[in-house]
Formats: sequence, structure tokens, C-alpha cells
Amino acid sequence: MNLALRDIRHDLSRFTLTAVGLGLLLTVVLAMTGIYNGIIVDATALPASLQADLWVVQRDTRGPFAELSRLPADLEDRALAVPGVARARSYVAHTIQRELPDGRPLRFTAVGLAWPVDKGESIPLIEGRPLDQAHYEVIVDESLGLQLGERIRLARDMYTVVGVTKGILASAGDAVAFFTRADAQSIQYDQSSEAIRLDREARTQRIRESWLGNDPEFVRFAETATGLIPAIAPAPVSAVMINVAPGASIEMVKQRLATWKDISVYSQEDQNELILGGIVEKTRKQIGLFRALLVVISTILMSLIIYTMTVDKLHSIALLKLLGAKQTVILGMILQEALLLGAIAYTIAIVVGRYAFERFPRRVILENEHLIMLALLVLAISSIASAIGMKKALAADPNEVLAG
Amino acid sequence: MSERSKAVVARKVSKHYGEGNTYVRALGETDFELLSGEVIALLGPSGSGKSTLLTILGLINEPDGGDLEIGGQVVIRDGEFVGNTNRVRRRELGFVFQRSNLIPFLTAEENVRLVLELDGVGQRIARQRSREMLETLGVGDRGAHYPVELSGGQQQRVAIARALIHEPALVLADEPTASLDKERGRQVMELFRSAARERGAGVLVVTHDHRSLDLVDRTLEIEDGFLIAEGIAQKPQGGSGE
Ligand SMILES: Nc1ncnc2c1ncn2[C@@H]1O[C@H](COP(=O)(O)OP(=O)(O)OP(=O)(O)O)[C@@H](O)[C@H]1O
Ligand SMILES: [Mg+2]
Repeated sequence: MNLALRDIRHDLSRFTLTAVGLGLLLTVVLAMTGIYNGIIVDATALPASLQADLWVVQRDTRGPFAELSRLPADLEDRALAVPGVARARSYVAHTIQRELPDGRPLRFTAVGLAWPVDKGESIPLIEGRPLDQAHYEVIVDESLGLQLGERIRLARDMYTVVGVTKGILASAGDAVAFFTRADAQSIQYDQSSEAIRLDREARTQRIRESWLGNDPEFVRFAETATGLIPAIAPAPVSAVMINVAPGASIEMVKQRLATWKDISVYSQEDQNELILGGIVEKTRKQIGLFRALLVVISTILMSLIIYTMTVDKLHSIALLKLLGAKQTVILGMILQEALLLGAIAYTIAIVVGRYAFERFPRRVILENEHLIMLALLVLAISSIASAIGMKKALAADPNEVLAG
Repeated sequence: MSERSKAVVARKVSKHYGEGNTYVRALGETDFELLSGEVIALLGPSGSGKSTLLTILGLINEPDGGDLEIGGQVVIRDGEFVGNTNRVRRRELGFVFQRSNLIPFLTAEENVRLVLELDGVGQRIARQRSREMLETLGVGDRGAHYPVELSGGQQQRVAIARALIHEPALVLADEPTASLDKERGRQVMELFRSAARERGAGVLVVTHDHRSLDLVDRTLEIEDGFLIAEGIAQKPQGGSGE
């Protein structure tokens, strides 16, 4: 006769309620773990989708995903001249917030692909295709809520969604939209005509007030179309992505590039480490803290529950001792109840998690190893809790029965 | 008539509680014997040491000194438990108390069956024997009920069934009839009597209830921790006088 099951059956509603409560607590522990994993994958999804061997960035900066990095636009050509470099692509990205015609905000990070070298073939698509023409096409993340084939107005042009990705986000958690570099820049520099006029006036004024203003040629130039400015000072790029030729050594190319005084070079792994070390570190610590706290709370709660369940049974335990029950029978009952409580709570966490996590705004990623880890954790919590109950049970005095 | 075997032999068992100011001599050096098939009533004022003697015989408390044999086995020597105390409890002892005898999360039948299963009897046999025992005690139809669903008298019968199911050498009962009316109280005493006769158990009943003393074989009186008087049970007035 299994005493644990019979005790549970006798007060099933209390046990069920306790298990559900504990299960939801474990769901939160699981969610924390999954969100943390999601943050890591999200943070590295964008650089991973671009498949570069090396990242060239402004000297002593930590790369375009961690901070502002500016490189002259011609660095792409310089890099291409280095032996062993098969492909050099400029990387530009900026965050844009616009409104859709229906008033919904549309916020994304525009990444410019080095058309025609890079049409976005390396980007993992769940729908559609890479870019096919030099202009007016865009690959978006599904989290933007745009459909394949949908047309959106950005700057003065209409763009067609030709491809959809899943889970490609910029470091701030914004969805990424891939354009050709030219399009990305024209969207970035898009200004209303009033803004352009004011900008031009301010520029002319600045030049008049400086020593350049003595030369009427300069003043006249300043008054001409803003569109010419990039011709003199082309927009800088954030980074240059290098792909090494087949057979060439990444390390060797890296060392060659590292001799240049105006840049720093990172491998893809360096890049990931910088991203995780910089941006994700704080989040990681915070989530880690929450997780530890929740584990402690769960342990205390479960210990308290098992303790109370044991105290409620002390008279029965004393009676069992009187009847000559072996110690293993009594301790087994407490351990089994704790384990069963843990197992049910764990199952609830897994089941609830399966349905709830996909509705979370942030990505929740759980692998088998994380589920196994939680199982071990629950086992540990149950054991600690039952140890506390067992201690109480061992102290139960058969004389209690006589006292009634 | 062949010599009857002895259910209990106690030699010079004594017990005190506390030290210094709180020192209480609960039981002086006591010799005590109980034959198999015999029912003894233990009488005495409150605080005289009745429960103390019972807890020593029931291996609940160790005495300060003395020896104890139950069903021919030495279980206490010089005031210390010897041998497998738990097994003696499982096989040789049955307990009935005033109340709260039963495990509340087990049904009546499970409460009885438990004793057998704790000692390794298979579930099927245990179940059948428990049902029969409950039947014998007139609560056969209450097997599936939890203790709270039973009346005081029914609970006591289930407790007695549990105390007898494994045919122990010694049944100890501490005021088993105190919460029952006269009629039920007598029925309980009759159950002990027939258990002693039919199953050969030695039964020691602590009682304040003088109304059922005609059903016991002997009475013992205890005062301030000493057994002071021993007598053949007096028959009630108007008794059959066999
Ligand atoms: N655990 C204990 N600690 C201290 N003293 C105790 C303890 N148990 C019993 N005593 C004392 O030992 C003496 C005998 O107690 P016992 O319980 O054996 O009496 P009793 O005859 O059963 O009384 P009652 O009829 O009231 O149940 C009493 O003076 C009691 O106060
Ligand atoms: Mg007493």
C-alpha cells in the first residue's frame, strides 16, 4: 500500500493547487532561461546571417553592433586589394521609425547589402527570395508584421517585400530589414523639402561666417542641392565584412589587415564575444539573478509545503512508528510526496511553457539540455524539501499518539 | 490443563521523568506477568503510572532499568531495548487508545490492512483478512470509509480490528472505552475478552470504567507508581456467579 499516494488522494485539492502554483513558478524559471537563450541567439543572428569571415571596423571600436563605428567608404576597395580576400562588403545600418498608412508605427533597423556583390543569399529566409534588383526591394523580419509581396512607402519610393526572415533582430531588439546599400542610405538621408531647405540655409550661413565665406565660389556651392554633398564626402560605412578566398587562411588575412593603422579587425567569433560581452552581459546578469532568486523562492516554498504536509501528518507518523513501520516506509512516504510534487510541477511547467512561450514578445529558446537541467534542479529542490520534512518526521515521538 | 504460555513477563521495570525539581517517579520497580488468553484491567487514580507502564510494555518508552519479555522474546534487558524492536512492534503488539487511533488518510480497511502489509503480507491476503476481521467486529460495511466518517464506537472497533489482525502476543489498551457510552464500552470489553479466548492474546486494559470489570480475568491496582493490589475480578451484583 502506497502511503504517499493515499495521503495525496485524501487531500487532493490542496496537493493539486500546490503543484499548479509550484508549476507556474517553475514555468517562470524556464521562461527566464529561454529568454536568456533567445537574447543570445537574437544578438548574434544578424552578424551570423551575413556570413563574414572577418569584420573590419574603426580603430579601437568594438564593432558596429556594440557602438558607433565609422570607416571611409573606400575601405571596401582597399581591403579587396589584400591578397587572400575574396569579397569585401561594406556594412551600414541605422534604425528607422516611420508610420504605416494605417498609423501603426514601423520601426526597424535598415541594413544595407553591398549590391551586387551581396544580394542577401546568406540570409536565412523562411519565405521569398534574396534581392533581385538594385532598388526598391526589401527583406524583412517576420516580427515587423509585413507580408511577402506587401508594398511599403519609405522616403519617396515604394519598396516590395521579397523575402521574410525569422528572428533576425538588431541589438536593441528591433527587426532588421535588408536593402541594397544605396536604398538604405537614401532612406536614411530622406528628409522633407522643408528640412532640406532649412539645412541648406544653415549650411550657407555657417560658411559665410567662416573664412571660407570670403570665397563666393564656396558660398554658391553651399547653396546648391544637398544631393551633391555625398559626392564630396561620401557617407561613411560602419564596417567592412571580409570573406577569405577558399584555401586562404583567415588568420593570415587578419594579421595583414591588422597592420593598417586606422582599423581594427575581428573574426566572427571575436565579434560574437564582443556582442555578448558588451550588450548581453548586463541582461545575462539580471536574468541570472532573477533565476537564482526564483530557484531560492521555489526551494523555500517547497520546503515549507513539505514541512507543513509532514507536520500535518505527525500524528499519523507517530502512529506508524508505534505500529512498527520501518523508517524507510516513513521517510519514503515523505520523499515520494516531495518527488511527486516536483514531478507534477515540472510537467506543468513544460506543458504551460510549450503553449505560452511562443506568445512571448521576445524569443524563448529551450533545448533539451535546459529541460534536463530544470529536471535536475527540481530533483535537488525536492530532495532538500523532503530532507527538511524527514528531519521533522524522525523527531516524531510515538508518545504523541497517547496524548491524543 | 497444560501450563499457559506467558504473554508478558516484566522484572523490576521502573521509570522516572525529569531531574531535580521536576523529578517524578512515574513507576517504581515493578514485577508483572500476563498470561496468554488473559484479560487484565489496570486501575488507579490519575497520574498513578498506568500509561507509563503501558508505554514500557508497548516498547514506546525505555524504562530506567529492568527486563521485559514479550511472547517469550527478551525485548528489554537492563532498561535497554534489545533485538529488532520494530519487528516486535509489528508482530507481537497491538494498541488501542482512547481516541485518534486511526490514520486519517486511510480508509477503515486500509488502516487494518496496513499492519499486515507493514510486515510483508501480500495485498490480496491482507485485504481479505482485514475484511473478515472488520466483519467479525460488526463494521464490515464501513471498510471504505475514512475515520472521520465513522462514529466513535465504529472507530474503536476498527482500532481493535487493527490491534488484533496480526494475532499479537500482547494487546495494550489505554482507556479504550472512555469516549464510549456504557453499552458500547461493554461491547469493546467483550471484544477483548473473545480475542483473548479465541486468539490467545494477553490483553492489558487501562480503565477508569468499573462497569465492565466483570468481563476481565484479573484486576491490578496501581498507586504512585506501585502495583498495590491484585484481585480476581469482582462480579457485578446480580451477576450469574459462575
Ligand atoms: N513525559 C512526561 N514527562 C514528565 N512527567 C511525566 C511524563 N509522563 C508522565 N509523567 C508523570 O508521570 C506520572 C505518571 O503518569 P501516567 O501518565 O503514567 O499516569 P496515568 O496513571 O496514566 O494517569 P491518567 O489516568 O491521568 O492517564 C505522573 O505524575 C505524570 O505527571
Ligand atoms: Mg494515562
